[in-house]
Amino acid sequence: MAERKKLLEIKNLKQYFNEGKLNEVKAVDTVSFDIYKGEVMGLVGESGCGKSTTGRTIIRLYDATGGEVIYDGVNVHGKKSKKQLKEFNRKMQMIFQDPYASLNPRLKIADVIAEGIDIHGLAKSKEERMEQVYELLETVGLNKEHATRYPHEFSGGQRQRIGIARALAVQPEFIIADEPISALDVSIQAQVVNLMKKLQKEKDLTYLFIAHDLSMVKYISDRIGVMYFGKMVELAPADELYRNPLHPYTQSLLSAIPAPDPISERSRRRKSYDPASHNYGGNESIEFREVTPGHFVLCSEKEFNQYKAQSNH
Amino acid sequence: MKVEKILQVKDLNISFHTFSGEVKAIRGVSFDLFKGETLAIVGESGSGKSVTTKSIMRLLPEHNSEIKSGEILFNGKDLTKLKDKEMQKIRGHDISMIFQDPMTSLNPTMKIGNQIMEPLIKHQNMSRHAAKERTLDLLKLVGIPKPEIRINQYPHQFSGGMRQRVVIAIALACNPQILIADEPTTALDVTIQAQILELMKDLQKKIDTSIIFITHDLGVVANVADRVAVMYGGKIVEIGTADEIFYNPQHPYTWGLISSMPDMDTDDEELFSIPGTPPDLLDPPKGDAFAARNPFVMKIDLELEPPFFKVSDTHYAATWLLHPDAPKVEPPDAVKRRQNQFNGLTGVSVGTASLEKGSQSQFPGIKEGK
Amino acid sequence: MINKEKIISKDMFAPVHIDPSKSEKIAKPSMSAWQDAWLRVRKNKAAVISMVILAILIIMAFVGPLITPYDYSDQTTKHNNLPPRIQGLENIHWLPFDGTLTKRDGSEYNAYEVRKVDNYYWFGTDSLGRDLFARVWKGTQVSLFIAFMAALIDMLIGVSYGAISGYLGGKVDSSMQRIIEVIVGIPNLIVVVLMTLVLNPGIFPIILALTITGWTSMARVVRGQVLKYKGQEFVMAAKTLGASDGSIIFKHMIPNMFGVIIINTMFSIPSAIFFEAFLSFIGLGLQEPAASLGTLVNDGFKGMIAFPYQMIIPSLMIALIMVCFNMVADGLRDALDPKMRD
Repeated sequence: MAERKKLLEIKNLKQYFNEGKLNEVKAVDTVSFDIYKGEVMGLVGESGCGKSTTGRTIIRLYDATGGEVIYDGVNVHGKKSKKQLKEFNRKMQMIFQDPYASLNPRLKIADVIAEGIDIHGLAKSKEERMEQVYELLETVGLNKEHATRYPHEFSGGQRQRIGIARALAVQPEFIIADEPISALDVSIQAQVVNLMKKLQKEKDLTYLFIAHDLSMVKYISDRIGVMYFGKMVELAPADELYRNPLHPYTQSLLSAIPAPDPISERSRRRKSYDPASHNYGGNESIEFREVTPGHFVLCSEKEFNQYKAQSNH
Repeated sequence: MKVEKILQVKDLNISFHTFSGEVKAIRGVSFDLFKGETLAIVGESGSGKSVTTKSIMRLLPEHNSEIKSGEILFNGKDLTKLKDKEMQKIRGHDISMIFQDPMTSLNPTMKIGNQIMEPLIKHQNMSRHAAKERTLDLLKLVGIPKPEIRINQYPHQFSGGMRQRVVIAIALACNPQILIADEPTTALDVTIQAQILELMKDLQKKIDTSIIFITHDLGVVANVADRVAVMYGGKIVEIGTADEIFYNPQHPYTWGLISSMPDMDTDDEELFSIPGTPPDLLDPPKGDAFAARNPFVMKIDLELEPPFFKVSDTHYAATWLLHPDAPKVEPPDAVKRRQNQFNGLTGVSVGTASLEKGSQSQFPGIKEGK
Repeated sequence: MINKEKIISKDMFAPVHIDPSKSEKIAKPSMSAWQDAWLRVRKNKAAVISMVILAILIIMAFVGPLITPYDYSDQTTKHNNLPPRIQGLENIHWLPFDGTLTKRDGSEYNAYEVRKVDNYYWFGTDSLGRDLFARVWKGTQVSLFIAFMAALIDMLIGVSYGAISGYLGGKVDSSMQRIIEVIVGIPNLIVVVLMTLVLNPGIFPIILALTITGWTSMARVVRGQVLKYKGQEFVMAAKTLGASDGSIIFKHMIPNMFGVIIINTMFSIPSAIFFEAFLSFIGLGLQEPAASLGTLVNDGFKGMIAFPYQMIIPSLMIALIMVCFNMVADGLRDALDPKMRD
């Protein structure tokens, strides 16, 4: 595992809105993690935890208030020339949550998908452009005839697939999927997730999968980070997180998910999380510490020792 | 022991008249609701679940919707035939409804207290003083702390979960016999959702109201439902108790739904997903509406709509696979695992073997499929 | 199809292969948003009738002066103040086209016979003997021209200003909005009076006066729309693809605002017509012999009691144009409002 290349390094990322004013919101409050090439990194949390903001800051839709985002060795933020920005645009792409708002209602599907191709000059002629569009449509499971239609004629799942085709058009290496399936029906979610998995293998993609549906995230992710109020509280390989959640918030989150299984539902007991229960003293340093290899938890020194003891039996 | 039937929906057919033509949104839906139970209606967009419940409340837009045939029997009356004034007496008083988005369900310019008191004063002719007392009780009942202060606040001063509790308080103010909940937790975070579901189950026991719970989340269904009706393409395709539906599903669509939800045991294998998209009800397909996406489709599915086949006294499924002449099929692995659980539960062996010979629709209130 | 009568044979249970691509087919014919909107406008009878009337009026504005033998500025003082008389309709006495006037004492007389005039003036003549039919249509031409030009310029300035202001946001947006507030605060009339003092009255100064302050409402509306679209995911998607700011504004946002822009423009045309008429009425508009609906009303006002037709006809025209534009704009707004979809 040690030879895995780091594609993205996020160091002490901060995204504060209305900084210094009364209504300051620390949406992302010092978050650090790495993403390795070829992996699927899941990012979960509830509304307001900052996961979407993290994704958008990484891709530069927002300018970071502090910290660094280093993609393939190059800092993403800061002053960049147009050419450099365009390069980032080709390497990093994003899939959005709302299939009904993520496509321009006035454009034909062919134009929606080909926008990236046009901007980056990836096709030298009209025919080549359409060829690429048709190929992309087929890759995501749609037909050639769909190219001349408008977004409102498609269902949510189909629109989401069009959004994926659009992102793929520029041949990116890294895709941030911001709640890509939350707005879809259950059986369609599986379609989209299967498609994403297939594409990852075929095109050697790296994903940051942001979601609040933990069962789906566990299925697709290699590692998962849990966020709470702007901080990452736990990060571990997917199986490990579910088998051995250490941070009390993670435990409460996992205990709240209803499973499609009446027998287990009847006996499930929910744990609730109270941030005050940590009882942190004034001078305790709360840091993101590695309890077991690959498993990080935001905790004080005391808690760290507790967790280490728990995990070693 | 016979439990009392509170609501009977019989062979409901509803269409919408749009620019492009007539959309047959509900094509022959029948079900009963028993006292004190929670019936979950599961389905995806376009299946007709919301239209069904809105039609019970007669909340469909008048200018383009039409109840073409069918009856909704409640307290001895047919709700489809009632005049608006009579329906108004029932809404909020005998049958209440709560919706998905707590932000838009409450009037932002009215104090919470007044919104809860409104149905009390209107339906039960309470004095303002008595209504206020009852409102405070209701706020306590739904778990809102410091009700005396909160009663004078506005919706924007409440969080999403709190607002949904207020919505529930309004709905239950007059102790209705039926509570229709249309995706009440879909817009809430997972931890808040868990709290609200616990609250609803708790209240149901206290008030003995029957709940129709609409959702597309099978986890939520497993948590709250006594019985489950699965809808597809404007019809109910399978109906049974929660255990029967989750551990012994018979309809390929239900199989698809259950298999497309990953659980703790799902490994790296590909998630079973139902290909394609739900049918366009502008031009409903001949035969079984699910045929185009059914991996187990047979010739007959393309010609005739399947009637309900009885799997047990409480479990019916509308699929030709249950016909005695149909070939035996292997359901997906995820379903097979569950069927093994079912064997353990009831000791009865599952699958089509439990079908009564030659039985077609003996489901009360169902007519033969057209 | 009734089950009971069909015999179900064993071979019907043979498995069938389904083509998965068939399940992605879209049944309905493809329709752009415009076609969709047109279908809905068609349903609104008032809007359709108004559109027809407006079409007729516009055609007449060009054709009208050509089909009458008289030029709009020709004066035949002997034939002044004659009421309307149309061949063929003159004998139908309850229609106003019979060439009769009512004296102060209530008695009617046929002005053409009394003054021995053989010509027919369809809308009558004014105090200088000019054919009102030609003048009214010429006036309509001028009024419509002024109104359309003013609306067009308002739209161009308003859309650009509002789009830039909304898109850039922050301090730039704030200062641009403050400028609008100052402009709106100055009474329109004072600006116009100053204009006409500085420049001599004519068509272009009037258009200038109308546009100097008229673009502000469009700018505000467009800014609101841009702010709304800024947060929409398809705009964010365009940004992540690398689209330039200009491309985002003009390719993505503005096409989605066409409906709002058109409606706003359509509503501003009647107010432009009315304002021009008002200016002419108070003497700040066009001068002789130029004709606009406003100057015609002004001229007709002087002879209102004795020769009512001189004021009624141009006034009716103004009212008709305004009502029709309002109806059409109303119909368009309903048709383009996505919430009223069924």
